[in-house]
Amino acid sequence: MTAGRLRLTASTRVADEIAVFVRSLAARGGLAERQAYRLRLAADEITTNIAAHGYRGAGGVVEIEGDVDDELVWLRIEDDARPFDPRGHDPRQVLHTDPTARQEGGLGLFLALSGLDDFGYEYADGRNRNTLIMRRSGHDGRRCE
Amino acid sequence: MSFDVTLHLEQRAASMRLVGELDARAAPRVHELINEAAAHELDRLVLLMSELTYLSSAGLRCLVFAHQKMSPGVEIVLVGTRPKVAETIQLTGFDRSVTMQDPASAP
Repeated sequence: MTAGRLRLTASTRVADEIAVFVRSLAARGGLAERQAYRLRLAADEITTNIAAHGYRGAGGVVEIEGDVDDELVWLRIEDDARPFDPRGHDPRQVLHTDPTARQEGGLGLFLALSGLDDFGYEYADGRNRNTLIMRRSGHDGRRCE
Repeated sequence: MSFDVTLHLEQRAASMRLVGELDARAAPRVHELINEAAAHELDRLVLLMSELTYLSSAGLRCLVFAHQKMSPGVEIVLVGTRPKVAETIQLTGFDRSVTMQDPASAP
């Protein structure tokens, strides 16, 4: 049993619902503002990537659930698109390119994964399952509202 | 979440005021105004960032778009960027392609 669950059709229009969901979860977990921001950014980038590349803009189910335990705030994002492990994305080529000459894409997953305390991925039962983790002890004293 | 962007043109400078959350849904509106600004002869494009509360990778791509649309030599200046937004810009190296200023030091 988890504290919250969202079932969405992947598109850029779901960003608001995800933001509200993550903000609520972060507040309940007492995350610092910076942690809450980065968790929301990671969720946004992962779901945007699913919509654009996993489902190739055609729409598809994205399920988001999350909860707070003693040490962690976790968020799980699942989709039915073809298997894709975000950890296999190598951002070095993009990061080493002159910012003014970069092609579209390539930074979202880097932002997502670099901002989290931990990230897990598995492909099970025909679904991609991304787990985003923030440690509650990492707050800097400024809790999000 | 809301987003608003306005463009002000004055002589050879353009300023864009960004308010709210710049994500994949909002980015096309910024692109439109960048196109509008790029139609003028400019020395600098100033992005007023102090009211921008969120920036995703789609928003970052607006900076690339601005570089590609502006004539060579047009300086892109970001004024008053909030720390969490600035962190995203710096993490991805975009601070190397723009000038980042505090509001107090902006002309």
